[in-house]
Amino acid sequence: MRMVVAKYGTWGLSVLLGIGIFLFWYVGYPHALSYQEQYQLFLWTGDYFWERVSVPGGLADWLGEFVVQFYYVEWLGALLLAMLYVALQRLCVVRRFYLLSFLPPLFLLWLMGDPSVLLSLPVAIVLSLAVFRLMWHVPVSADLLAVPVLYWLLGPAVWLYVVLRIVQWGWKHLWTAGWMLAVQLMAYAFILPQWPLQTVLAGAGYYRIPLHFPSLSGFDKEMYELIRQDYLVRNERWDNIVKRAGEVQVKTPFWSNCVNLALAEKRLLADRMFDFYQSGEDALIMPRTRDLTSMLPSAEAFWRLGMVNSAQRYMFDTQESILNGRKSGRCTKRIAECMIVNGHYQTAAKQIDLLKKSLFYRAWAEEAESMLGNEVKINSHPVYGRMRKLRYQENFLYSYEEIDKMFGLLFMANQENRMALDYFMGQMLLKGDMQGFQQYMGWVQQYGGYRQMPLGYQDAMQCIRVQSNVSGSPYAGYVRRMMGRRSAE
Amino acid sequence: MRRYIYIICVWLLLACSNQGDRLRDSLLGGGRGTVPVIQVDRLPEIYPDYIGVTIPVDIAPLNFNFADDTIDGMEVMIRGSKGGEIHANGDWADFDIDDWHELTAQNQGGKLLFSVCVEKEGKWQQYKDFEVYVSQDRLDEWGLTYRRIKPGYEVGGDIGIYQRDLNSFDEYAILTETAVPGRCFNCHTANRTNPSRLTLQMRGEGGGTMIQRDGRQTWVETKTDSTKAAGSYSYWHPDGDYVAMAVNSVHQSFFTGTGQRIEVYHKFSNVEVLDTRTNELILSPLLQTDDLEIFPAFSADGQSIYYSTSKPCRVPAEYEKVKCSLCRIGFDAKTGRFGETVDTLLNGPATDRSYVLARPSYDGRWLMYCVSSRGNFPVSQNDADLWLMDLKTGESRELKEVNSAQSESYHNWNGNSRWFVFSSKRDDGMYTKLYLASIDEKGRVSKPFLLPQRHPRKYYGELMDAYNCPDFTKTRVSFDAHEAYRQVFDNRRVRVRIKNKE
Repeated sequence: MRMVVAKYGTWGLSVLLGIGIFLFWYVGYPHALSYQEQYQLFLWTGDYFWERVSVPGGLADWLGEFVVQFYYVEWLGALLLAMLYVALQRLCVVRRFYLLSFLPPLFLLWLMGDPSVLLSLPVAIVLSLAVFRLMWHVPVSADLLAVPVLYWLLGPAVWLYVVLRIVQWGWKHLWTAGWMLAVQLMAYAFILPQWPLQTVLAGAGYYRIPLHFPSLSGFDKEMYELIRQDYLVRNERWDNIVKRAGEVQVKTPFWSNCVNLALAEKRLLADRMFDFYQSGEDALIMPRTRDLTSMLPSAEAFWRLGMVNSAQRYMFDTQESILNGRKSGRCTKRIAECMIVNGHYQTAAKQIDLLKKSLFYRAWAEEAESMLGNEVKINSHPVYGRMRKLRYQENFLYSYEEIDKMFGLLFMANQENRMALDYFMGQMLLKGDMQGFQQYMGWVQQYGGYRQMPLGYQDAMQCIRVQSNVSGSPYAGYVRRMMGRRSAE
Repeated sequence: MRRYIYIICVWLLLACSNQGDRLRDSLLGGGRGTVPVIQVDRLPEIYPDYIGVTIPVDIAPLNFNFADDTIDGMEVMIRGSKGGEIHANGDWADFDIDDWHELTAQNQGGKLLFSVCVEKEGKWQQYKDFEVYVSQDRLDEWGLTYRRIKPGYEVGGDIGIYQRDLNSFDEYAILTETAVPGRCFNCHTANRTNPSRLTLQMRGEGGGTMIQRDGRQTWVETKTDSTKAAGSYSYWHPDGDYVAMAVNSVHQSFFTGTGQRIEVYHKFSNVEVLDTRTNELILSPLLQTDDLEIFPAFSADGQSIYYSTSKPCRVPAEYEKVKCSLCRIGFDAKTGRFGETVDTLLNGPATDRSYVLARPSYDGRWLMYCVSSRGNFPVSQNDADLWLMDLKTGESRELKEVNSAQSESYHNWNGNSRWFVFSSKRDDGMYTKLYLASIDEKGRVSKPFLLPQRHPRKYYGELMDAYNCPDFTKTRVSFDAHEAYRQVFDNRRVRVRIKNKE
């Protein structure tokens, strides 16, 4: 190996590392990039910068978010990440132990498998190492000033710098560690009245969940499969979702929501719904859950169904569940869209103003701004105009417990809303309401737009009528199980 | 080369300054002005709308923007009826704080005449002057306290309780989400604006009621075997020993239409009083009924409690049937006992209205409350308006001077009961903002003014929070958020007992 290193030079291996990292994110985990990007909204304003750097670790946080915004363009995000990893590797190079310099980037890669690890952590580590290199010839007494300044800019990752300086200058300079601790305690006592001690010591910007630490579990296969499904939903890649669902199955309501939405978009729900795992009554729409991910597929389904208020609510609550208090570009955009459809132009303008200060949502925001108050333009818009036709025409209270009826009423409000009809029939099956399913088959015949009755429905009906299974039909199998459960009750 | 650049810069500066002076002369009407100004025979459209409002001495400057944000600049001259003048120019009217305070102090009981001149496309236009009245009545409180929360649905998000210096634009955090991550806190209440007695509630895991007496926090668990939940919607007795609370379960449902977004309702609610000296709960069978007793408030003399009550309904299905009456029950602070009878001041079902959030003025003269078509959570009701009852005569009237087509609620009085603060959604129907208004001894109420900000359009335009639970605070609140964190996460709670329970 030494010969290889000697032959191609240390930079060659670093470039290989960069290519590997780039391919890892761009080819293997683009959905992870999308996931990170959707939980922040980087604003190109001075206020945003000053707000970030007004707390310890703020510069690292700002730089991390600056890079993450480019995840919106996956190849660019992967490229920037690759450069960051290479920078880390190069900063870790110690001549005699060159190959050991690859361990930190690989450890970092594994650490970033926890999706709550924020990019500000690697940024802070890289900058701490870079400053250590820059300060190589600067006497350790300069740390009296450097340590508090670096702590404020980069956060507690500066401990890495402090430790390296002690190693460089010898144990008699252990006082820098005491000084670093003193700086943190003074910040806690005098400057950060709203920060718990644990946050002051461990940092606020490295991990999305306050007072928690990385799980060190690497890339959990099932979790990343769900993140992938959400990513595909976000990008409306319905065929990919269905295809992928045939290959990998994660038995959660989240997964069911994604797959069912894709099936509905392809008008395959009536035929193939029970070819895939169904989590239960929450398989089409999940109840409200207080976290930053679970409600997203349901919110997307609400939007496409025309349940605009519910889409807005789920997106709003999702955004407020981002525990580090960041906005979400994805959620803010959808909230603004819902407000436009509802004619709430003043509040929509507020969201749009925010998006206009971002890089990748700006173009959309400017286009959306031109629609505010312009009823003709909105009504003729292919999506917003359609939403206005699909949405409920009457005002009443939403009820998750009666979500099947909510779908039914939605369909009655506009009988061209076939997705609502599919969801209505599907929800009755999930609920085991076979009588209702039978009763409303007429709607499917009259309004469903199918050339012939979907096979799934045919099997289900046959199963209900003859009270026995239809061999080889997952639809009938599910109906049979539900009927058995009902009769047992 | 550098020398020439320097000369040009100085010349430009002088030229600009000179134009400002000349324009100022024009505004003053001294006859010295040479800048051509087109007179416009209408009032300027400004944000916030401060035209004709009444303000207290020492309030933060009423900075404002021109409604049309495409202007090139504006010049504003203020002249006091009792003397003094100040001037501001730039993209928006941004007055010097010290000059402003001097001017308002000089014109207490008088009025300020605002002259606004706007430059657009190289032309200056002068609008009709407007007046702002400086009240004779002082507002001596240091500032306001309020909670800022995203106007969302069921997730509070990045909540914070803040205090704002009313003399300036400075805001300080009292308790924010960073101090107690993942917790929902609300209903911070001081005793008649005095923060030496303070209470707030924390819901959910690690929840409890914080009672702060003279700087010492005590976290109590107010839920007992005899009460259904922890207390909230608190109100201090004037003596500072008792806190009246509602014990309830709050829920939300969501509309499918494009009007009101949320219906907030309670599945049960009772009223109780906590003796903060002994941590004993005082209950009355009259306030522990199947009806929903809610939003208690002690009278100014502390001898009675106002509250609202409604018949139990099958909510959310029967949300339209929730009609609250406004009631009063006696309270003896010496013995810590409730009265034996309840007076109904306003009958909700009989008038097909809902009367909630009674707030008696601290001088005992007035009772301000919310009126809406239904419900017991007015901030979520679009038609909620403020009303005023004269406690001498029992007569009520709608405060048309301050109401709008959107919800008005969360009102509170200042110490001398000459000013009140309330929240309103009038701007956009969603993001609640704070307004202040004055009331004189005859009950005449002034046009309210939006809480001033240094750059109002930028501040309110970019603010993604709604304000709620505003109250005046006599002095700056001293609150140890580090201690709150320790208490919340240690989860040690003082358990309350029921007084006189056999």
